[in-house]
Amino acid sequence: MDVSAVLDWLEGSRLASTIRDSLLIFPLLESIHVIGLALVFGTIAIIDLRLLGAASRERPFKRMASDVLKWTWAAFALTAATGSLMFITNAGVYYHNFYFRTKMLLLVLAGINMLSFELTLGRAAHKWDKAPSAPAAGKAVAVLSLAIWISVIFAGRLIGFTTSRAKQTAPTGTDVNLEDLFQGDSTGTPTKTNSSQPGSGRLP
Amino acid sequence: MKRFADWLSTTFLSVFIQNHNSWAIPTIQSIHIVGIAIVMGSVFMISLRVLGWASTDQTLSQTTSRFGPWLSGSLWLMLVTGVLMVVGEPVRELVTFSFWLKMSMVALGTVISAIFQKSVRKREHEWEQELIHRGGVKCLAVLTFFIWACVIVLGRLIAYDHVWGSWSPATKA
Repeated sequence: MDVSAVLDWLEGSRLASTIRDSLLIFPLLESIHVIGLALVFGTIAIIDLRLLGAASRERPFKRMASDVLKWTWAAFALTAATGSLMFITNAGVYYHNFYFRTKMLLLVLAGINMLSFELTLGRAAHKWDKAPSAPAAGKAVAVLSLAIWISVIFAGRLIGFTTSRAKQTAPTGTDVNLEDLFQGDSTGTPTKTNSSQPGSGRLP
Repeated sequence: MKRFADWLSTTFLSVFIQNHNSWAIPTIQSIHIVGIAIVMGSVFMISLRVLGWASTDQTLSQTTSRFGPWLSGSLWLMLVTGVLMVVGEPVRELVTFSFWLKMSMVALGTVISAIFQKSVRKREHEWEQELIHRGGVKCLAVLTFFIWACVIVLGRLIAYDHVWGSWSPATKA
């Protein structure tokens, strides 16, 4: 199947144009995305620091993992959902963006890193559950995990600086465009917004 | 405020950040986001403990002494990176409604967390035995989490201050 056809279809969908034409939806999606990723990174870091023996050394690993990781997954689902909604508003641009691609690759690496842990040391966790830190391989996984997730955050932020805003599809002309009313430039003249914002160069 | 912002944008540090903004601003912002993630993670875990939804093998004071230092350490990191962002783009930050509402929320969240942690240290026994079971305390745990969530939303809205319409000083410029 042709990727560009899929991207066009996504961008042309009713949902995508609703988000594009709203003053508030895109910023709110971004905000919820940040809340989600804060919880994803915050909770993953708790587990990684436990593996490294840098914090929570006295707590059994399995107990911590069952406490924390369900929230990590819930937050990840929230982040993925809001991320997808942002993606469809300007699918073609994001798809070809270097930092977007880097971020997706990093997410895959994070997944592989996690799987490699779950399938080996994670399954044998009862053997080192109460030790103050994980075996060496577990520490390596933890360092990689922290590095990858911090890189995901950096790449994500850079997407906003390297993509230009989706074109508004709302009919202009007789219709009043709210953004033109609210967003004046320094001289007070209403500005057309189709080349700046959500995520234009100077955004973020 | 606009005049202060204009003056700030002529200072050495500000000019340096502006001249290197292709990497300086995204880097500072990304560190700021890593910081808020540590804040959110810490507040989240303490709130879950108060609600009894996680870390029930730990006492409340064990939980606050595990996450409290990360919370305050990360708040310092955010203060430093936040100040750098204001210095780098004074007008964009200071001449917005979102920024000042965010600062009020940060102040509120920080005061609540500081008082709470001090109190848990001083009256440990009372907290473990009684206070943690009070409905009001559980509500406060949920509220604190939402205050920090609002801080994130408002931080993002600095870039979209026009959503506030006439409340945004940027629209009157």
